[in-house]
Amino acid sequence: MSFVEIISELVLMPLIAFVVGLMMVLMMRKISARLQRRIGPPFFQPIYDIVKLYGKDTQVSHGLIHDIGIVMAVGGYIGAEILLPVPGMEGIADKGGIITLSYFLMIPSLGMALGVGQCANPNGSIGISRALTAMLAYDIPFIIVVFGAAWHYESTSLIGMIEYQQANAWGIIEMPFLAIAGLFALQGMLGKQPFEIYIAPAEIATGPMVEMSGKYMGGLFVMQTFQLYTAGVLYASLFLGGGESWLDLLPKAFLVVAIPMSIAFLFPRYKTEDLIRILWKWPVMLALIGLAFIL
Amino acid sequence: MNLLDQFFVIVAVALISIAMLRNIKVNSIVSTLWYVLMVVMLARMSSVAYNADTITSAFSIELLGFRMYWKFTALSWFFSIITVVSALASSLFMSGDWGKQYRQQGGNYGLLQLALILNVVSMLILLASGDLLSLFIGWEFVSWASFLMMVLMPSKTAKKAAVKYVIYAIVGAMALLAALAMVYASSGSLDFTQITDAFIQMTDNMKFGFVLLFFIGFAIKMGLLPFHLWQAVAYAETPGPGAAFLGAISSRMGLFTILVVIVQFIGLGNLEEMNIALPYLNMKSLLAWIAALTTIIPTYIALQQHDAKRLLAWHGVGQGGYMLLGIMMYDSIGSAGGLMHVLNHASYQAALFLTVVAVVYRTGTSDLNKLGGLVTQMPLTFLVMLIGIIGLAGLPPMNGFVSKWMVYRSLLVNGEPLLFVAAVLGTLGTILSVYKLIHNTFLGQLRVEHQQVREVPWSMMVPMLGLSVIVFITGFMPGLILPWIASIQETIGLPVVTYHLGGIEYAKGGLDMIWVSGILFYGFGVGALIFYFLGGKAKRIHQYDNYAGGHFLSSEVKYHYSNNFYPGLMHLIGNWYRGSFKWMENVIVSALSFVSKLFENMYRSRQPVMLLVLVAVVALFSIYKNYSGAGS
Amino acid sequence: MNHLILLVVLPLLSAFIIPVVAKHSLTISRLIGPVVLVFILALVVLSWNSVGSNGFAIFLGGFLPPVGIVFYIDHFSLMLSGLIAGMLLIVWPWNSYVAPRQYSLYMLLTAASFGLVLSADLFNLYVFYELLAVATYGLIARQKNPAAAVAALRYLFVSATGSAMLLLGIAIIYTLTGTLNIAHLATMTDQLHGLAGLSAFALIVIGAGVKAEMFLLNTWVPEVYSTIETPLAALLAGLISKLATVLIIRVLLMLFQQSEVLQMLLVVGVFGVISGEMVAWRAKDMLRMLSFSSIAQLGMIFIAFSIAGEVGLWIGLAMMLHHLLVKGGLFLLADKMQGSFDNLRGYAKRSAMAVAIFIIFILSLLGIPPFPGFWIKLMLILNLAEQNNTLYHYAIGFILLATVIEAAYLFKLVRYLFQDEEAATIVSTPKSLTFWYAQIFALVLLVSLAFISPISNRLKDMASQVANPDIYINTILPSHLSGGNP
Repeated sequence: MSFVEIISELVLMPLIAFVVGLMMVLMMRKISARLQRRIGPPFFQPIYDIVKLYGKDTQVSHGLIHDIGIVMAVGGYIGAEILLPVPGMEGIADKGGIITLSYFLMIPSLGMALGVGQCANPNGSIGISRALTAMLAYDIPFIIVVFGAAWHYESTSLIGMIEYQQANAWGIIEMPFLAIAGLFALQGMLGKQPFEIYIAPAEIATGPMVEMSGKYMGGLFVMQTFQLYTAGVLYASLFLGGGESWLDLLPKAFLVVAIPMSIAFLFPRYKTEDLIRILWKWPVMLALIGLAFIL
Repeated sequence: MNLLDQFFVIVAVALISIAMLRNIKVNSIVSTLWYVLMVVMLARMSSVAYNADTITSAFSIELLGFRMYWKFTALSWFFSIITVVSALASSLFMSGDWGKQYRQQGGNYGLLQLALILNVVSMLILLASGDLLSLFIGWEFVSWASFLMMVLMPSKTAKKAAVKYVIYAIVGAMALLAALAMVYASSGSLDFTQITDAFIQMTDNMKFGFVLLFFIGFAIKMGLLPFHLWQAVAYAETPGPGAAFLGAISSRMGLFTILVVIVQFIGLGNLEEMNIALPYLNMKSLLAWIAALTTIIPTYIALQQHDAKRLLAWHGVGQGGYMLLGIMMYDSIGSAGGLMHVLNHASYQAALFLTVVAVVYRTGTSDLNKLGGLVTQMPLTFLVMLIGIIGLAGLPPMNGFVSKWMVYRSLLVNGEPLLFVAAVLGTLGTILSVYKLIHNTFLGQLRVEHQQVREVPWSMMVPMLGLSVIVFITGFMPGLILPWIASIQETIGLPVVTYHLGGIEYAKGGLDMIWVSGILFYGFGVGALIFYFLGGKAKRIHQYDNYAGGHFLSSEVKYHYSNNFYPGLMHLIGNWYRGSFKWMENVIVSALSFVSKLFENMYRSRQPVMLLVLVAVVALFSIYKNYSGAGS
Repeated sequence: MNHLILLVVLPLLSAFIIPVVAKHSLTISRLIGPVVLVFILALVVLSWNSVGSNGFAIFLGGFLPPVGIVFYIDHFSLMLSGLIAGMLLIVWPWNSYVAPRQYSLYMLLTAASFGLVLSADLFNLYVFYELLAVATYGLIARQKNPAAAVAALRYLFVSATGSAMLLLGIAIIYTLTGTLNIAHLATMTDQLHGLAGLSAFALIVIGAGVKAEMFLLNTWVPEVYSTIETPLAALLAGLISKLATVLIIRVLLMLFQQSEVLQMLLVVGVFGVISGEMVAWRAKDMLRMLSFSSIAQLGMIFIAFSIAGEVGLWIGLAMMLHHLLVKGGLFLLADKMQGSFDNLRGYAKRSAMAVAIFIIFILSLLGIPPFPGFWIKLMLILNLAEQNNTLYHYAIGFILLATVIEAAYLFKLVRYLFQDEEAATIVSTPKSLTFWYAQIFALVLLVSLAFISPISNRLKDMASQVANPDIYINTILPSHLSGGNP
C-alpha cells in the first residue's frame, strides 16, 4: 500500500460517504414526501440545510464536553467509513474487520451521549437513556447476524466476506433468515419508526437534540448522512455481495436504505419496553433459525 | 541468592518496615518507595516473562513429610506485576491528602497501609507457589488478608459483607482441601505434577468431583456464578484505594489458580473429554457457560446499582467471566484475550475505582443519585473516568477492546454463537451501565452544594493518570503485553499466539490496534477540524440557560435526570431479577437450621438417661444381630 | 522409678488432709494443693528422660500381675500427667474464696485423673473413673447458680448410668476371661472377640463415652459447661474429656482393634462433629457455643483415632493437645467474655487484646494456615483420604462441611465483637488471672508453630509406643513371652 493510496483513502472514503449519505438523506425525504403525497425537497436541500446550520449566528455551547461529543460523533463515523471497504478502496479497511467496525459504530453514539449529557437537560438524558436501551435491543439480533455471516464466510474481514460472495452466491440467498433479521435490526439501528422513541418530539422535545443548535445540530446532520451510508454499504457487503464497482454497490446501498424508509410510516411508535420486546423476539428468533441452518 | 530470593527479601523487609513505622508521613513515602522497588525487581526478573524461564527460590520448607517451595514462572510474573503496580497506585493515592482525610474521619491509616502490603505479600506468596500445599497456604493467606482489608470500614454492611466473604472463602478452602486430599490419596504427594497423574487414574465420576472441587474453590474467589453474591458488596465496602486494589486484582487470584491447576495440570483437553450430557456439553463447555453467565448476570445487577462503588464492583465480577471464557476456548487467541483481560481489567478498574474515590473525597458521596455535573469542577478526574469506562465497555482504542476483541474472535472461530451473544450481551449491559456512571457523576446538572468542589490534589491525580496512560498505551500497542502472554501460553501448555506490536496476526482477520487507533484519531481530528473551523463561533452559556418548556431554571429547580436511569429497560427486565441465588443461599441456611434444630432438641432431651439406655440397647442389639446373622 | 506412684498417692492424701488442716490454718490448707501439683509437675519433668522408649510398670503391694495393681508408665502417660498437673494449676481457684472442701474435691479430681492415666487394669480404671465422676459432681454442684445444680443433677444421672454400664462391661469381661489386667487380657483377645466380648466393649465405650462427650451420650455437656464457672469448664472440656477418650483408646488398641470397631468410632465421631457444630451454630451465648464446639472437636478426635495404626494415633494425640490448648484457652477467655452475644457487642473496643487472642484461637481451631490447627487438620484429612474405605472419604466431606459451619458461627461472633454501635457500658480491659493464662495459651500456640516438626516427631514416637500392644504386654507381663500364661 503506497503512501498516496493511504492518503487518498483517508480523504476520499469519508468524503464519498458524506456525498452519498447526503443523497440518501434526500432520497429518504423524497420517499416520505411521496408517501405523504407531497413533492418533497429539491436536490440540493440537504446541502442547504448543512450550510444553514453551520452558518447560524447563535451557536449555543454547554461546555467542552458538549463540543467534544459532537467531534466524537462525527469523527467516529469518519473512522468507521475508512474501515468500510468499497470498490477500489479497501487497503486500510483490511486492518479492521467486522468486529472492530461494529465497535466503531458505537463510538459516535457514545460521543453524542456524552455531549448531550453535558447539556444538563433531562430531556436529552432521557433521550440518551432510551437510545442506549434501543441499542441494547437491536444489537442482539444484529450481533447474531454478524456472527452468522462471519461463520458462514469463515472470515471476520469484510473484504473476505465480499470475496466469498462474489465467488459463490450472495449472502441473502444462502442465509435468507439472517438477512431478514439483519434488515429488522437495521430498522432499529437507523432509529426509524416504529423504533424512534428516543427522539419522540412531542414528549421529550426531540430528546438528544434538545440543546443542539447551529453547528451542533449540523454535526448531528452530518452524522446522520454517515449513518445512512454505513448502514446501506454494510448491509450490502454482508448480504448483497458488496460491489465490484461503485455502479454495482450504490444501487444496492440505496435500496437497503430505502426499505426502512418505505415501511417506516406503516407503524406507530413503540414504547421503550415494547421496542425491546419486539426486537428481542422476532428478529432474534429469525436470526437463530438462520444460524441453525448454517451451523 | 537469586533474583527471586532477593525479591522476597525485599518484600519481607517492606512488610516489616510498614508494620513498624508509626510516623504517617514516613510510612506513606516508604511504602510507596517499596512498591517502586518491587516493580524494579520484577523488571529485573523480566526474562521470566519474555523467555518463559522459571526462577526457583533457594528457600524451601520441609514439614511433616512435605516439601514446600516457591518459584516464578511467566504466569506468576504476569500476575505479580499487576499486583504490585495496582498496589503502587493505591499506595500513592492514599499517601497524600486522601490519607489525611481518612485519618480525620477516624480511619486507621497505618492499618490500611499494613492491610495493603499484607495483601500484596500474600498474593506474591500464592503466585510463587511451587506445589499444591504452598498454593493452598498462599491461598488462605490471600483470603485472610483481603478479609482484613474488608473489615477496616466501620459500617455495619461492611462487616456483614466481610463475614459473608469469610464463609464463602472457607467453603472454597474446604473444597480445595478435599481436592488436595484426592491428589494425596492417589499419589501420597502434593506436587503439581501429581495432579495430572491423579487425574488420569480416576474413574469418570471421580474426575467430575475432582475438577468441580478445584473449580468451586477457585470460582468462589473469582466470584463466578453461582458464587458471585459475596464479592461486590465486600469490595465496595472497603476504604477507597483498598477497594481499587481489591477490585483490580484480588479476585483474579482465582483465575491464576484455575490457570495453574485446571489449565496447566489437569489440562483443558482432558476437560473436553469429560462428557456431561449430550455431545455438546462437556466439562470445558460447562465452565465456558459458567463464565458466560458470569458476564451477564453480575453485569445486569451492576446496571441496577445506584452506588458508584458497588456498580464498579459488580462489573468487576462480570468481567471475570470474559477472562475465563477466553481461556476456556482453548485456542491461542481466546486464551490470550482472557489473559490479557486480567491486566486490562486491573488497569481500568483501578483507575475507575480511584476516580470514584476521588469524587467521594471531594463530595462525600458515591451515591449516583446525589451527584452530577462535576465535569466542570473535576475535568481531569472526568478524563480518567472516561478513559476507564471506554476500557471497561471494551470500545476502541482502549485496552479493554483488545482483549474482548480476541475473545470474540475466538468465539467466532470456534463457532459458539450462544456464548458469543452472551458475551455481547454483557458488553452492551456494561455500556449502558458505565454511561449511567459517568452521566450521573460528571454530566448533567451540577448541584448547588458541589459548586465549590475542586479538582483533587496531585498525589491522587498522578496514580489515576498513570493508570489511564496504561489503559491507553496497552490498547494502542498491545504488542507490549503480548510477549508476556505468549510466554504464559507456552508455560501452561496453551497454543501460542502470534503477535506484533499492534496486535494479533490471524488468518482471515487479525487486529492491528496502531492502525485502528490511528484511524479513529484521524477521524476525530477531521471531526475537530470540521467542528472548530467551519461554522460560526459557539457561545458558552450557563447550565440554567436551558430549554425548559417555556419555564425558567434556577438553582432551586432540580433539572437532572439520574434516578432509575433506564426505566424502559427495567420495566421489561425488572421482573427477571428474582434474587434466585439469594434464595438459594437462604434455602441452604434454612435447611441447616432445620437439621441443627433437630440436633439441638436431642441435646436438650428431657430424658438423657433414657437416651443413654436406648443407645446401649440399640448397640447391644445390633451386635447381637450381627453375630447371629454371621453365625447362621 | 517407683516414686511415680506419688502421682496418685500425694493428691489423694492431700485431699483428705486439707479439711483437717483447714481447721487449724486456712492458709496452709490453701497452699497444700498448689504445692503438691508443682511437686508433681517437677517429678514428671525430671523423670521424663529416665523413662525409656518401652515404658515400665509399677507393681503395687508386691503382687505380680495379673493379680496385683499395676501402673504402666510411658511417655504418653507422663505427658498426660504433666498436662493434668499443669491444667489444674491453671484452673486452681486462687483468688476467690472457696471452702476447703472444694480444694479437696480438686485434689480428688487430680488423683483420679492420674490414676486413670496410669492404671493398667480395668477394675482400677473403673475405680478412678468413678472417683473422677464423684469429684466432678461435687465441683459442679458447688456452683452458686441454680442452673448449675440442675445441670449437675442431669450430669449425675447420665454419668451414673454410664458408670453402671462400664461396670457391667468390665464384669462381662471378667466372667469371660477371669482377669482384668489389660496386658493379660491382650494376650487372649480371641476369647474376647465374640458376642459377649463385643457387647462388653460396647458397654465400656458407652460408659466412658459419657465423659468423652461422645455423640448421643453427651446430652449433659451443654448444660454443665454453660452454667459452671469457666475455669472449671476449661478443665472439663479441655482435659477430663480427653482422659475418658484415652481410656476408650487404651481398651480399643489393646483388646478390640478390629476394623468394624474403628468404623463405629468413625461414625460416632462424624455424628459428633456434625451435631456439635450445627447446634453451636444456633447457640446464642458464648459458653454454650464453646461447649458444643467442644463436642464437635471431640468427635474429630474420635475420627482421628478411627484411622488404624500409628498415624491415626499420633494425629489424634496432636488434636487432643491442640484442643486442650485452644478450647482451654477459649474457655479461659470466656471467663471475661461470657454471656449472650448481644452483651459482647463492640467488645473489641473494650479489650483489643482479648479479641486478638480470641481470633488467634478460632483461626487455629478452624485450621487456617499457618496455625498448628491447620497442620493437624491437613494431616487428618490427607490420611483419611488415604484409607481404602469410602466411609472414611465421606468423613472428609463431613469434616469440611462442619468447618464451614464452624467458621459461620465463629465469625458471626467476631462480627458482634467488632460492632461499634451501642457499646453501652465500656468496661475497662479485663485484668484477671484467667486472662493472663489465656494469653499464655495463645503464646504457647504461636510458639509451637516454630516447632511443628519436633513436636510431630515426638508425638509419632509416642504413638508408635502406644500403638504397639507387644511393648505393653512385655513390660507388664515379662513372663508372658518367655513362659506363657502365668
